[in-house]
Amino acid sequence: MSLIKTDNLTKTFNGTNAVDGINLNIREGACTALLGPNGAGKTTTLNLLTGLMNPTKGKISFDKRYSGDRRKYLGYLPQYPKFYGWMTGIEYVVYAGELGGLTASEARTRAEELLNLVGLTDAGKKRISGYSGGMKQRLGIAQALVHNPKLIILDEPVSALDPIGRREVLELMKRLKETTSILFSTHVLHDAEQISDDIYIIQDGRVVINGGLEELQKKYQQPTVHIETEENLEEWSMSLESAPWVRHLKAEKQKLTVTAESIEDARNALLTDERLRQLKLNKFEIEKTSLEDLFMEVTK
Amino acid sequence: MRQWIILFKKEVKESIRNFKWIWIPVVFILLGLTQPVVSYYLPDLLEQFGGLPEGAAAAFPVPTGSQVLAETLGQFSQIGLLVLVLAFMGAVAGERNNGTNIMILVKPVSYASYISAKWAHMVLLALVSFTAGFIFSVYYTFLLIESVPAAHIIQGALVYGLWLTFVVTVVLTLSTIIKSPAAVAFLTFGVTITLSLMSSLLPEIMTWSPGMLSSHSHSFFMNGYGNEGFWLSLMCTILMIAVMLSLAIYVFRKKEMAVHTT
Repeated sequence: MSLIKTDNLTKTFNGTNAVDGINLNIREGACTALLGPNGAGKTTTLNLLTGLMNPTKGKISFDKRYSGDRRKYLGYLPQYPKFYGWMTGIEYVVYAGELGGLTASEARTRAEELLNLVGLTDAGKKRISGYSGGMKQRLGIAQALVHNPKLIILDEPVSALDPIGRREVLELMKRLKETTSILFSTHVLHDAEQISDDIYIIQDGRVVINGGLEELQKKYQQPTVHIETEENLEEWSMSLESAPWVRHLKAEKQKLTVTAESIEDARNALLTDERLRQLKLNKFEIEKTSLEDLFMEVTK
Repeated sequence: MRQWIILFKKEVKESIRNFKWIWIPVVFILLGLTQPVVSYYLPDLLEQFGGLPEGAAAAFPVPTGSQVLAETLGQFSQIGLLVLVLAFMGAVAGERNNGTNIMILVKPVSYASYISAKWAHMVLLALVSFTAGFIFSVYYTFLLIESVPAAHIIQGALVYGLWLTFVVTVVLTLSTIIKSPAAVAFLTFGVTITLSLMSSLLPEIMTWSPGMLSSHSHSFFMNGYGNEGFWLSLMCTILMIAVMLSLAIYVFRKKEMAVHTT
């Protein structure tokens, strides 16, 4: 069941397309990551979804069950959340809840519950102006959740945080995933791999690759064999080039890197190769390329 | 409506926390209090410290009660307005510039409520401060100079209150359109000074102008009725307030809230 669908979503600033015909399909109950380098158009895409910007072209459609003002069903945390510093944490969440349509007492109960969830029960009574970056980020998540939205949209939720704050927020997102649909942007593949179900890799305002995390891993992780010998292996490596299991091969003096179609064939063929033994094998290593390599490659 | 009240309450709370609800009324009270006191003692002061020739102080008679009240409004129109404009110039622009409105406006908040709640709070604070200051002025005028019919005072004050509301609406509207709070303040002063100057220099062709309202209020203090063209300028002002407020909401709705950074 898809919660939000975008069709050829485009946003132009001064003649350049920041978002260039993006088709998203955000599933209900899933955690979706928009992954891409800085300036790829992630934030603009999210701004279009929340309605903070209007698309130049294209269409955004929300699930028919949730009609009316889209904002009722969305919770949003901007990349750099700016709060009213004169409010206390709990006041802010209550305020956000009331604006989201809760009654005063509902908002109060919900705010206390959420501050507890994000670990700000005590700090909630203090003014936000004294909060650290991590605390603000967690308060931002609390305010995004307060009116029980169908989807929360988080813009670079961990990028500005130190390693501890990062882990806290990622752990929190893992817990939220159980109950809410999440859409978040990041430029760190590792974060996306840790918690998301679906990934969209975006480059120059376009979706380059998208799919489920496991599917992508299966499709793009290729087994690679690294070989090091004492003798020069370049001449021998020529003979491998025609082998059916070899996909890509790079040899340099005593080092060889082979990307294989199938790891079984590669292992069998190489380890039974008499000539390789004569070259005095120093190192034989099998490795799977991660999505990182893919990410680096497509965003080059 | 419930949401409007929530937004309005937030504005009031904010202004209490940053002490606007204290220092703006204090300024108006000080202005209101000094005007009658200074008018009353001016001849004495001149005599003591003026170094004027003998008998010259007699050329500065103590003004009438309605004159003192009119002079108080003159003070409000200068220093009072300055304070109001400086306090409110960032009403919309400030929140937009520092991004605090982003997380509010992604909630299902009506843009009209957001703007009109701000406007209502600004008007309330301006009118309460004006009333507080004017009560002091009236009290000391009665005490030191002479009493003025209460009905005249109330009518005049209501008319002047409308002029203040007009200026506050100009600030809000400009603050919605223009990014820089300093430019908002500068332009508001430009508009009010032009309107007031034109109205006093060319009253014949400016009968409609909101800038006429303060001279109408002077007339109310003195006679209990406005000058010629009072109703025209009253209706025009109310109309202009309504138009500016709608314009502010319209512009705010059209503008994209998120600022493109990269």
